[in-house]
Amino acid sequence: MNPEDLKYHKEHTWVKASGKKATIGITDYAQNALGDIVYIDLPDVDAAVEANSEIGEIESTKATSSIISPVSGRVIEVNEELSESPEIINEEPYGKGWIAVLEIEDKSELDDLMDASEYEKYVEEEKK
Amino acid sequence: MKLVIIGAGPGGYVAAIKAAQLGAQVTVIEDTEVGGTCLNRGCIPTKALLASTELLHKVRHSEDFGIEVPGQIMPNLLKIMERKNKVVSIQVKGIRALFKSWGINLIEGKGMFLSPEKIEVEKKDGSTEIVGADKIIIATGSRPGQLPMFPIDGEHILSSDDALNIKSIPKSLIIIGAGVIGCEFAFIFNELGTDVTMLEIMQRAISTEDPEISETLERELKKKKIKLFTGVKILKVSGQHDGIHVQLEGNRDLIAEKLLVSVGRTLNSDRIGLEAAGIQKGSKGEIVVNEKMETNIKGIYAIGDVTGNLMYAHVASKQGKIVAENIMGKNEKMDYSVVPYAIFTSPEIASVGLKENQALEKGLKVKNGSFQFRALGKAHVLGEITGFVKIVSDETTDRILGVHIIGAHASDLIHEAALAMKAGLKTKDISQTIHAHPTLSEALMESAEDMHGEAIHVPKK
Repeated sequence: MNPEDLKYHKEHTWVKASGKKATIGITDYAQNALGDIVYIDLPDVDAAVEANSEIGEIESTKATSSIISPVSGRVIEVNEELSESPEIINEEPYGKGWIAVLEIEDKSELDDLMDASEYEKYVEEEKK
Repeated sequence: MKLVIIGAGPGGYVAAIKAAQLGAQVTVIEDTEVGGTCLNRGCIPTKALLASTELLHKVRHSEDFGIEVPGQIMPNLLKIMERKNKVVSIQVKGIRALFKSWGINLIEGKGMFLSPEKIEVEKKDGSTEIVGADKIIIATGSRPGQLPMFPIDGEHILSSDDALNIKSIPKSLIIIGAGVIGCEFAFIFNELGTDVTMLEIMQRAISTEDPEISETLERELKKKKIKLFTGVKILKVSGQHDGIHVQLEGNRDLIAEKLLVSVGRTLNSDRIGLEAAGIQKGSKGEIVVNEKMETNIKGIYAIGDVTGNLMYAHVASKQGKIVAENIMGKNEKMDYSVVPYAIFTSPEIASVGLKENQALEKGLKVKNGSFQFRALGKAHVLGEITGFVKIVSDETTDRILGVHIIGAHASDLIHEAALAMKAGLKTKDISQTIHAHPTLSEALMESAEDMHGEAIHVPKK
């Protein structure tokens, strides 16, 4: 199940905000749809990121897709461990499989995102 | 028929053999070695080096296939070069043997027109010989391009010729130009352990290819930690005690042990006395020819790179065959509508016909079909899942306009598309042809199916 304390974007990314810091990753639904992840192109530290724009790419044995940032901000940390072991995302999309930490400017952007139950409904709709 | 050919590259030597087969008395003048750039400084030696580095890559990743190789896996540059030189020398000997068997006279030296019928050869031993001919073919090729900003010294600032003969593996290398040659070398040096940075003035790597192909290639460069800066302008290059410094616009400075300059090629249309024969050149120095490959002077033909058109060995060879036939009484014309080519990056790129944007520019109604290799069993068997096939067709007629591939064995896969296009076939002809399983060729079938929304191994859209 999708954690209650996260916010979700329709491009199947999540964000966990704490003060000015926002950790982002892809959802369990996304990792499941992608299948075995073989490569992730992480954003550069210090890069400026716009909400709803691509911050990296993810490649699985089935597909290559963009990672869309749910919020705007500046990248302050990336999960380097994923470069060597991208399969961590499959194992723990909401835990060790986090992708990057952003320093966010506008916390109101979080209000545009879905909560866990809204996201679950959204995913159900997508499946149809 | 006395035919003289200047240059024994893939244009000249093929023309020589073809003309001899048709009964001409052939003399070939060559100032370096038979086989030309392709065999001695281009296609063949680069692919020989690539064969070594690809194997190195496989051995390094053998554990993925369940093979354990104990001990350190190291490239031995000296032996890699020895093997490359051996591969080249086998081919050189092969061409020399073919010349001998067809009675072709090879004069080793530098040819220079004295008049439209006479050529003076300055031989390697210092003597000169004047050769007369009924017909002449100019097949002098091209050489690495130079820019004043990057003074090639063969030691720190290298041309592609120099890069093929390095004595030690550089720790770091800056490659100027992320075109075909630059990218091929980037993968080779990267696997040897060199820290590679590429600088490109255009907005993407191999900007002549389909944008999706460049995008996939750029992702592969990134995976291998080959750095690529696109849309950059170089302000200054200077050799200092700690290496070559490259200053970029926007206050960025790069430094590397060596610099490789791959900024296109210069035509060998100078220093061969074209003026003495009255042969016309175009604005880029190219020898101007008609579709029968004849210059403005009757009886003098030009083929290959020196004509400034598509600089591919196989185009030069085809032109050589056509000229040989025309000289011997036929009336053949060069047709450039189906010219496949391959780029030997990792993975390979291959293409034939019109790209989507070219077809659109021609005002055609275009439809695309594509298919990812990663959806094929065989791609997973090989452990090479990156890439795709893209077919561009005419929406109204379903005729194939072009096929573009990035992926393992693209250079072999492209010829099914080339043959289909030469025969004027439709995408339906490919999709309805049974393709053997499990093969990478299935990607062609599936992309043709995708054109009509009928691909099997694609989820519902």
